[in-house]
Amino acid sequence: MNREDNKIVAFCCEHSAYQVADKAGRMRLHYPDNVRIIRVPCAGRVDVQHILKAFEKGAAGVLVMGCQEGACQHLTGNTRAKKRVKYAEDLLKEVGIDGGRVKMVNLAPDMAQRFIREVKEMAEKIEGEMRR
Amino acid sequence: MQVRIGIFLCDCGESLKNIDFSRIRGDLQRLEDIAFVDISHNLCLEEGVKAMTSRILAENINRVVIGACSPELCEHSFSRLLKGLRLNPSLLSLANIREQCSWAHEGDVTGKALELMRMAVNKARFLQPVEKKDIPVNKEVLVVGGGFSGMRSALELSRLGLRTTLVERESVSGGKLGEFESFHGIETTPEEMLSSTRKAVKENADIKVLTSAEVTRVEGQVGDFTASIGRGEEKVSQSFGAIIFATGYMTKILPQDFQLKPDVNIISQRKLVEMLQAPGKLERRPGTIGFVLDVSDENSRLPILSTLNNALAVKERLGSEVYVFCKSLKVDSEGVEKLYREARERGVVFLKFEEKPRISKEDGRVKVEARDVLLGEEVTLLCDSLVAEEKVLPPEGTEALSSLLNIGTDSAGFYQDENVHLYPVASERKGIFFVGGCKGDLDFTRTLADISSATMSIYKLLSPEKVIVEVEKVKVEPEKCRACLTCVRVCPHGAIQMVRVDTEKEVAKIYDLACDGCGICAAICPAKAIRFEGYADEQILAEVEAIGESL
Repeated sequence: MNREDNKIVAFCCEHSAYQVADKAGRMRLHYPDNVRIIRVPCAGRVDVQHILKAFEKGAAGVLVMGCQEGACQHLTGNTRAKKRVKYAEDLLKEVGIDGGRVKMVNLAPDMAQRFIREVKEMAEKIEGEMRR
Repeated sequence: MQVRIGIFLCDCGESLKNIDFSRIRGDLQRLEDIAFVDISHNLCLEEGVKAMTSRILAENINRVVIGACSPELCEHSFSRLLKGLRLNPSLLSLANIREQCSWAHEGDVTGKALELMRMAVNKARFLQPVEKKDIPVNKEVLVVGGGFSGMRSALELSRLGLRTTLVERESVSGGKLGEFESFHGIETTPEEMLSSTRKAVKENADIKVLTSAEVTRVEGQVGDFTASIGRGEEKVSQSFGAIIFATGYMTKILPQDFQLKPDVNIISQRKLVEMLQAPGKLERRPGTIGFVLDVSDENSRLPILSTLNNALAVKERLGSEVYVFCKSLKVDSEGVEKLYREARERGVVFLKFEEKPRISKEDGRVKVEARDVLLGEEVTLLCDSLVAEEKVLPPEGTEALSSLLNIGTDSAGFYQDENVHLYPVASERKGIFFVGGCKGDLDFTRTLADISSATMSIYKLLSPEKVIVEVEKVKVEPEKCRACLTCVRVCPHGAIQMVRVDTEKEVAKIYDLACDGCGICAAICPAKAIRFEGYADEQILAEVEAIGESL
C-alpha cells in the first residue's frame, strides 16, 4: 500500500494551525504529502460527524489542530474540540479502529516544527500499523 | 439556479514546477458544472486580474474556484474583485496549492493539488450568497468606574465626539490615584493630576457623572446595550453603544504571607503615604523603615512601583534608613529599572531572600530575620516600621459583574488578560472593553496606553453611526430550533439570545454584529439548526468527500 492511500485529514483553525501550515510551506519544511488540510474558523467548529466522515471516506488518520489552551480566540473552542476528539476516539475504539488515529493538537501560529512533527508522527504511526 | 463554476489556477509566475497544471486542467474539465478552467501566471497582478474579470463577465458563472497561494494572502483581494463584479464574495472557494502543496513537499505533487482543487470545487457547489447590511449603532458610551482611568477614558471619548455616562460606586470620583504620594521623576503630583482631571470632567458637557451609582444589569448587544443603573432607590435604564470598564483594583495585606498582623509598627503602603503627607503629626521620626515584598506571583508591578516610589520619598523627606526585603523585583514597567538604580544610589538597601523572613516584635520594634542569598549570611534588622506588601486584588463585585456580563476572569480573578488574541483591552464580547487596574497588572504608562487603545476601538466601532455586517452568515433555522438553550450557553461572545416568534414558540437568534464567527454553536447544536455559511456542515463534509475519491 503506498502512502497516498493512507490519507490524513487535518482540520486546522485559521487563527493558528492553518497559519502554521502556511509557514511550514514558506520555510520549505517538507512533510508527508498525504495530509489534506481543511480550514475551519475555530477548532470548536469541528464536529464529531466531520471526523467520522473522514474515516468513512477512507482517511487513515484525523488531526484536529487548534490554538494553545488559554489562547483560543473564541475562548473555549479548543477545549470543546478536545472533548469532541475524545468522544470520536471512543466511538472509533468501539468499532475497532485504534484510538491513536484521531488526535487533538494545540499550536501557536509560529510552531512550524511542532506541526511537522505531529504530521510525521501520525504518518509514521499509520504506516507502521499498515505494515503489520 | 444551475451551478456554473469557473476555475482559475495560478502557477505563481511558473514557479510551481512540481505541479503539472495542464493535467489538472484536463481532469477538472471533466467534472460536472464546470464552465471553464483557466491557467494564469499571476492572478494577483493587474493583467491577471483583468483576464479574470473579462472571463467571469463573459461566462456568466455563479461560483468561482481559485487555486493559488494561501487564502491568508489572497482571499481579501479576490473577495473584493468579486464584489466589484456584482458577484457575492461568499461564492468564492479557494484551494491553497502553493504554501500547503507545492512548497510543502518534494517531488511531483500534481495528485495532491488536483485533490485540493476538487475539495474546493465540491465546497463551491454548496456555497450560498451572504448579503451585507447597515446596522445603526448607539453613539453613547457607558464608563463604569470613576477612577483616573475611567475619567481619562471619558475625556478622550469626548475629544473624539462621543458622549459618555460615567458611573462611580463611591460618593466622589477619583479612585486610587490619590493614594499615591508621588511618582518619582514626574513633576506633577498624583493629587494635582487627579484634581485637573476631575475639573476637566466636570466642565465637559459630553460627560454625565453619576456618583454613588452601580450598574445592576446589562442586556443587549454591541451597538445597543441596555444598562440599568441603580442610584440609591431610583433606577434608570439607558441604552449605550459600548461599555468601558475601569473598575480598578483593591489592595490588601495578606497576613498569611509572612505571618504578620498589621499594627502600629507593621503598616500598609497607604498608611506610610499618610505619614509622608503629614510628617508634622509624627511623634518622632522613624529611624529605620523596612519594606517586605513577596514577589512570587506575576501580578506584581504595582507593589514594586509603590515600594520604590515610597522608599525614595522616605529617604527624601524623613531621612530614615530604608531596607527592602524582596525575593525578586519585576522592573519591566517603564522607568522602573532607573527608579531601582536611583533608590540604590540614594542609599536604599535591597536584601534578597529565598526563604521567607521571620518577623517578630522586640521592644516595640519589628525584628526581621532573613538569610540574604547574595551575602550568604543571616541578616537581622530592627526597624521602627515595617511596610508590608499589599497584594493587588480584584475589587469587590468583580465576580458578580463578570457573571452579569457573561465574561470570564483570569486565574487571579481579574478580567481576562491572559488570552493573547484579546490582548490588551478587548473582551470576548464585542463592544465591552477593560482599562486600567481591573485587568490586574498595571502601571501608569500601561494604563494610558490601554485608555487610548480602548477609546480608539470604540471610535472605530461607533463613529460611522452604522456598521456594515454580513447578514445571517451564521443563522438559526427557526423551524429546526427546539429552544434547548445549548447555543446560548456555549456562545463565547454572548451573541445569541432567545426571541419570541409567536405566542407558542421562542427560538434562538444570533446577533450579526456581536457574532465573531467561530462556529462553536453550529458544531454543538443537537438539532443541527445552525448554519454557518462558508463552513456549513454540508460544505465541510463535501470537502471531506473529495478526499480519496478518484475521478
